[in-house]
Amino acid sequence: MSWLLWRQHRAQMAIVAGLLAVFAIPVVVTGRHLSDGLVACRASGPCGGLLDHYNAMLTSVNLTVAVPLIFGIFWGVSVIGRELETGTATLAWSQSVTRRHWVRVKLLWLFGTTLVASSALTVLVTWWSNTRNALQESRFSGLPFDLENLSPVGYSLFSAALGLLAGVAWRRVLPAVATTIAGFVGVRMIVELVVRPHYLSPVYRLLPMTGPRDDPPGSWVQNNEMVHNGRVIGGNIIGVPEACSQGIGKVDLNQCMNAHGYRVRITYQPASRYWTFQWIEFGIFAALSVVLVGAALVVLRRRDV
Amino acid sequence: MNATPAIVTEGLGKRYGAKWALRDCSLAVPTGRVCGLVGANGAGKTTLLRLLAGLSRPSTGRAEVGGQVPRDDSEFLREVGYLAQEIPLYRRWSAADHLRMGAAMNAEWDDPWARERLDGLRIPLEQRVGTMSGGQRAQVGLVLALAKQPSVLLLDEPVAALDPLARREFLGTLSEAVAERGTTVVLSSHLVTDLERVCDHLVVLADSRTVLADDLDDVLATHRLLVGPRRDISAIERDHVVLREERTHRQLSVWVRLRGPLVDPNWDVQELGLEEIMLAYLSLREPAAAGPQPVEVTA
Repeated sequence: MSWLLWRQHRAQMAIVAGLLAVFAIPVVVTGRHLSDGLVACRASGPCGGLLDHYNAMLTSVNLTVAVPLIFGIFWGVSVIGRELETGTATLAWSQSVTRRHWVRVKLLWLFGTTLVASSALTVLVTWWSNTRNALQESRFSGLPFDLENLSPVGYSLFSAALGLLAGVAWRRVLPAVATTIAGFVGVRMIVELVVRPHYLSPVYRLLPMTGPRDDPPGSWVQNNEMVHNGRVIGGNIIGVPEACSQGIGKVDLNQCMNAHGYRVRITYQPASRYWTFQWIEFGIFAALSVVLVGAALVVLRRRDV
Repeated sequence: MNATPAIVTEGLGKRYGAKWALRDCSLAVPTGRVCGLVGANGAGKTTLLRLLAGLSRPSTGRAEVGGQVPRDDSEFLREVGYLAQEIPLYRRWSAADHLRMGAAMNAEWDDPWARERLDGLRIPLEQRVGTMSGGQRAQVGLVLALAKQPSVLLLDEPVAALDPLARREFLGTLSEAVAERGTTVVLSSHLVTDLERVCDHLVVLADSRTVLADDLDDVLATHRLLVGPRRDISAIERDHVVLREERTHRQLSVWVRLRGPLVDPNWDVQELGLEEIMLAYLSLREPAAAGPQPVEVTA
């Protein structure tokens, strides 16, 4: 069985290993420049412009957000679905090895290689992003959360499982690929936009209208609103109270409004929750993967070849 | 020849949704026989073979192949060789790759025999099967199915897409290997001449049911065309099985399976070729009216 797997999937594995190696070279080179540069400029002054010359690299790293789809499309769909389409599953199933065993070994290969490859990628990306995180403290919000540490591994397993189910259900590569892409993008967006903000209830903080308004470092700021005596003022245009409306500058306006009970309220997830969120995100996608694999097994068993 | 049947089915049926692909199929194929499986398109030949190969589960009835119920178990799988109609192979692999796969996935794999066989057919071992001719691919598929040394070999229309020469070579490989090992074979085909060349047993499916399952010589010996002036045929219907009748204004033709000696001397009795017999069965309007034939184990 292991020979069969090797013979069948060696090209796919070689391609992914090659792509990883090609990606690793610029990541390591520029990553070392950046970390050296960070040490140097920390000693001498502000580091604001450090990333300016690394736009291409930043873009490349950001594009790895789509890599999990590759595991779904090229590995998940093909591992069993393509064999059903071409009929070679029947060839494999008329040898003396049982179907159950064949499916088990195939799944082991799919998720083993996906785990290894996506872990290798996330190690590279996370390491490279150290400098960006040090400068911008942004790993908790937006794209960086999806690119670093555990979440991309969860997405990759999910994508592979989705491709597996789509391939088994459609028995055709093309519609299975389309289903995998649509399903992956859809679920990722729902989780990111609707579910993730509520993993833990956010923390609120009132800030005076005067003085610095820096966000808590490393946190994920979800909202930023004006409140008056504890009441949220909706809308974008805020009526300036009459007392403050006559001929004063911006600083005075803020002081005036502060004195009249206006505050800024930020809603955020503190930086200390980063790993909790990473684990929850990973857990959700890992659990979805298990459900999808279970469904794929049921479909395989229910339907005849 | 062993009298124990290698394949037995009783009331075997398979339903997809509301539609029966195979219904009430009862037959027995004695060990060591080469059995032709005949039927119109959609009669259930593929379904029957897949059920016997353990690739599909029956909705009703039961089957036994080599004394075992077809199932996903290596004990069973090692006894059965199966070659699907489209002859699935990994197109980008060479024949040698397929042999290595066979060796890796089967405990009793006869690699020297397989290599010798492919050599003898002048099939290049290192060539990708995707670039081979249909005849060569069919041979590779057959050699794969034979090299695992099954006791029962199931072939689904393996020669349908081949030219006459490739067909003859394929059937040559089959007959030779089967004669050496005493393998029981079920071979579905539309091509009567092929069946007559290699088979010694016949199963006919019509409308998803078995209408005939018997020794080929018996089949040829008992089927007759009776021609005579128009008359009442209730006596014939009582003693024999009438498959088909055709009336012109003066003459009557009756295709029958004789169940004993024909007593009425007024018939002009003609022998029937295999093709005519099969056509008589395949054109049966209501198969149930003529059979189901009792299962007979003839060896």
